[in-house]
Amino acid sequence: MSSIPGNLSQPGQAAVPSAAPKKPSLWRQSLRRLLRNKLAVSGFIVVVFMFLACFLGPLFSPYTDNKIQMSLMNKPPSWQHWLGTDKLGRDVLTRVLQAGRISLTVGLASMVLSVFLGTLLGAIAGYYRGVVDQIIMRIADLLLTIPGLPLLFISGALLSEWKVPTDYRMYIVMLMLSLVNWPGLARMIRGQMLSLREREFMQAAVVLGLRDRRKLVHHLLPNLVPLIIVMATLNIGGAILSESVLSFFGLGVMPPTPTWGNMIDAANNMIDFQSHPWLWIPPGLSIFATVIAINLFGDGLRDVLDPKMNR
Amino acid sequence: MQMKRNRITALLTLLLSGALVLAACGGNGGNTTAQGAESASAQSGNNSSEAGTDNTGADAGSTLQFIPASDLSKLPAVAKGRTDTIIVGLTDPSGAFTPYFQQSGYDGNVSSLLYTPLVTVDDQGLPAPGLAESWDVSEDQLTYTYHLRKDLKFSDGSPLTADDVAFTWTLLHDKAYDGDSQIPTLHIVGGEAYKEGKADSISGITVQDAQTVSVTLEQPNATALVLLGSDVLSKAYYGKDYKFGQIDYIKKLHEKPVGNGPYILEKFIPGQEVRYIANPYYYAGKPKTEKFIYKTSEGDTWQYLETGEVDYASFSATTENLDKLKSMGFVNILPYTPSTYGYLQLNLEHEALKDKKVRQALTYGLDRQSIYVDANQGAGEVANIPASPISWAYTEEGINKYAYDADKANQLLDEAGWAKGANGIREKDGKKLTLHFLGSKSAQTDVFIAVATEGFAAIGVDFQPEVFADFNALVSKVEGGDYDMASFSTPMLADPSDGVLQFVDGEIKGYDNPKVKELYDKALSTSDIEQRKATYKELFQLLNDELPIIFTSYKKTVYAYNGRIQNLSVSPFTGLSSSLPNWTLE
Amino acid sequence: MSAYITKRLIYMAAILLAASLLIFCLYALTPGDFISGNIKLTPERKAELREIYGLNKPVLERYAIWMKNAFHGDFGYSLAQQKPVLALFNDYIWNSFLLAAVSTFLTWFIAVVIGVISAYKQYSWFDTLVLVLIFAAMSLPSFFIGLFLIKILAVDFKWLPPGGMITTGSNATGMAYVKEVIHHMTLPVIVMTILGVGSLTRYFRTNMIDVIKQDYIRTARAKGLKESKVLYRHALRNALLPAITLVGFELPALFGGSLIIEKIFNWPGIGQLYMSSFSVRDYPLLMGFTMLIAILTVIGTLLSDLLYQIADPRVRLQ
Repeated sequence: MSSIPGNLSQPGQAAVPSAAPKKPSLWRQSLRRLLRNKLAVSGFIVVVFMFLACFLGPLFSPYTDNKIQMSLMNKPPSWQHWLGTDKLGRDVLTRVLQAGRISLTVGLASMVLSVFLGTLLGAIAGYYRGVVDQIIMRIADLLLTIPGLPLLFISGALLSEWKVPTDYRMYIVMLMLSLVNWPGLARMIRGQMLSLREREFMQAAVVLGLRDRRKLVHHLLPNLVPLIIVMATLNIGGAILSESVLSFFGLGVMPPTPTWGNMIDAANNMIDFQSHPWLWIPPGLSIFATVIAINLFGDGLRDVLDPKMNR
Repeated sequence: MQMKRNRITALLTLLLSGALVLAACGGNGGNTTAQGAESASAQSGNNSSEAGTDNTGADAGSTLQFIPASDLSKLPAVAKGRTDTIIVGLTDPSGAFTPYFQQSGYDGNVSSLLYTPLVTVDDQGLPAPGLAESWDVSEDQLTYTYHLRKDLKFSDGSPLTADDVAFTWTLLHDKAYDGDSQIPTLHIVGGEAYKEGKADSISGITVQDAQTVSVTLEQPNATALVLLGSDVLSKAYYGKDYKFGQIDYIKKLHEKPVGNGPYILEKFIPGQEVRYIANPYYYAGKPKTEKFIYKTSEGDTWQYLETGEVDYASFSATTENLDKLKSMGFVNILPYTPSTYGYLQLNLEHEALKDKKVRQALTYGLDRQSIYVDANQGAGEVANIPASPISWAYTEEGINKYAYDADKANQLLDEAGWAKGANGIREKDGKKLTLHFLGSKSAQTDVFIAVATEGFAAIGVDFQPEVFADFNALVSKVEGGDYDMASFSTPMLADPSDGVLQFVDGEIKGYDNPKVKELYDKALSTSDIEQRKATYKELFQLLNDELPIIFTSYKKTVYAYNGRIQNLSVSPFTGLSSSLPNWTLE
Repeated sequence: MSAYITKRLIYMAAILLAASLLIFCLYALTPGDFISGNIKLTPERKAELREIYGLNKPVLERYAIWMKNAFHGDFGYSLAQQKPVLALFNDYIWNSFLLAAVSTFLTWFIAVVIGVISAYKQYSWFDTLVLVLIFAAMSLPSFFIGLFLIKILAVDFKWLPPGGMITTGSNATGMAYVKEVIHHMTLPVIVMTILGVGSLTRYFRTNMIDVIKQDYIRTARAKGLKESKVLYRHALRNALLPAITLVGFELPALFGGSLIIEKIFNWPGIGQLYMSSFSVRDYPLLMGFTMLIAILTVIGTLLSDLLYQIADPRVRLQ
């Protein structure tokens, strides 16, 4: 699979920002080009808006205690409850925002973890090659042959055996997602690494007799940064979607703590579909808008950072 | 990027579909729980006057009335076009259609039309004649003699005699038998010896003549009459290749059943349909409707009923479901309370829960009315005893209702020596009062957790919910004792003793009350209904006070079916199968 | 080349062996077994049944038994369905294959056409629209769009059946049967195509953009070749060639069934079978299916590496 000619894994021939002195101007140049990309900018704005709304919004809500009020069951949007109430009489708007905190955090954290794992393992495999490469890549192959569902169920069950408090389940969800995601990322990084180490500047480094660590940290990793940034952004979107799915299984965040995923899940039936659109449209739209926005932004970033994509 | 994307999609796909299976498995008919805790407009239990509802809990089981279809002209063309076929949705029949050998309840639904038991139960759960026209029970309650009807035939036209009955019972005592029939647990005389290979036949089973067979037990058991009077397998067909210890050959016959019920299997299309045609040899006469089909349909069945793809479906009796069904116009709506009860199993090996006062306090501190009735829009009732409101043994006499009362709960906990400590959590001997709850993933569980978290916090109990994606994991955790509280529902209870069994057979670990055992045995030692009623009343009162488990709720469902179907009734104990032969299409 | 293939085959065998052990252990580790889900059974009966099924044996011993039988071509009986595992696969897998094959074909076709056009007109309004639509399709929860389309197209407008593979009770044969199946598979295929087309379109678009920028295209244009000729003869071919490597990766997906879609649309496929087997811990069926997918995965990987070499001879196999 290392040979998959995905654009990102393909060894770029030229100006990945490599030479140190040119760096600042190159970054600034990139930024300027990014700002010209309207889609990417609007994506970025939406993402920032979602973050702000979710993290600050609930501070202004009078309903943050999520008190259960059966008398307010499934009320449509009104002046008191802008997005209506759910089947336990809780304010949907407040819950969507609170859910966003968790879903966004999970997306971010899972991204950080899998990018970290993927980069580390992929870089090591690509740099050292030989036995190390074989071991890491075979493990990746092995992981890819195993269906994800049982893997996730088992991790869930084991954590329950180990009495990990349910409050921390969120972090476990992230861990599980990262575990599933790293092989794909590792492959890409490895491919890039394999091509980088053949470059002239690396040959120079070898001639200079630099130590491995110095070569890795100062010369190779910086060259991977654009790729990593791009993968990271695109990864968040996927992680948010996956989180929503894990929530369906009770593998993730326990109710009554809301996430976008468990909110949609609660309304995923014909009756709510027809009669209570305010239960599923807000969380659904939040996921949809956030994932699109992040992807557009990531795509714009790639346009800018990947030299082959230049106009 | 491509590869990663595929990977995520694949994972999502796996996960998502799992969600649907689970939703489907939760309910007893496959779709009741999925609808379980949906939404509503109701202010609470008593405003759904159009549905003929009055105050919930007033008179169990009678709160909803039958609502006939208002406008049959709305019937979808597909359904109109069917003249000799009735279609019912069924979650997931798998093809093992031999009774006693099937592993899924859905296959049980299929075979219940292929086979008729010797003894069935009527709508009160009392024994009624099936293939056996009568039976005798000896004075000592140990010997049961069944008198078969004359001229009974299997669906291949071969005669059904007492030999077949004896063969069926014997087969279940084979050491290789891997099904879940309860017949071997009845301790038929000589059964154990046969199982161990020490005897060629079971000495307790005697075939007196072609129509008479009797069986002797080692100890009396009031459920034996119905249990033994179950489906009959053809000896000529299923016993042709039988050798002790080798019954794998039966697997090959699963999809080609020879039965004696109202219908004959015409065709099984895996994952799609089970098709039947009427059995001309059926003892009560060939069914009126020539063809019957179980259509595999998981999860939400609204779309199939609405488009006329199925003629019948069951739903949770929420106000909104009822409104939607009524607006469809072409379905008759039949309310139905299944013979089950829901409960919270408590880990009685944990110090705090050993104390009856704590258990009572927890019951007072849990707003069951909100969870099971209000949030469910009236599609449930609060339970307080281990029997369904439709059981003949049901009683409310001398039963504490444990209506939600946080003050009372607090008071009981104080009395039990649990004092409020830091963060408002109660403590005793330096230990916090923590409840680790296990539930399976469903909408109902979500509601439960939300309400319970709030309610228990108010009485100083630290509530730690944990939700399981699949039932097996949950059960094994409970078996391992790693829990404080777990949510369950009983399977269909035919006899009142079924609902109490768990308190005496050691299933509820740590509960050992000789009085309960005594009453349980006493109730089973006689077949006199009035006597049994009185004993069960005493037993229920005891359990209601002791609360070895917290009783939660009774489900309420409605059956919606094509208004053209006549003579449909649903027995709480046998479901559709008893009235099905009489169904006709108008 | 043949040395390479031999080496790869040995690798494959080793990975499959490791995978089978790992998968077996994982299933065994999953809490609960086939027996524990049946709450009707007494503890004694449970112990008896575990004995009959051999579930009380140590995991490694069970694995050894399974492996031995598997080598003899015996994948056992499904515990829940009481049928040979392979017979069950045969009952369900082709239905899944039908859905997957058709939607994969459509996905590829649409992705190539749209991807190439939008690459050719990079940064035009069409390209922007396509880009947004691609991401929209990638941001949809599949179960949601499935139910949504059922609601609109099947329940409200009654254009298409809401689920299943044939009209219930139908005895159609021949062409009538084919027509019926096509009618029923339209909805699921639409959804699967929508869900899959996004990422693939994106892939073709970037590939094509890469190619258009290559020197040989500039050369071709400079030579004064007609634009259509440049596009079809030179650019398109080179943009599509690398994609054949992806074919290998579609292999497991073709036979693995699309679980969620099958569930929503009531399609009698292998995915549904797998899910219901998982929830009852039907080990023989789970192992059989998972190994089948594992085998297809490694074969697919090998296939795509080989194809890649054919597509791009510069790649050296080692």
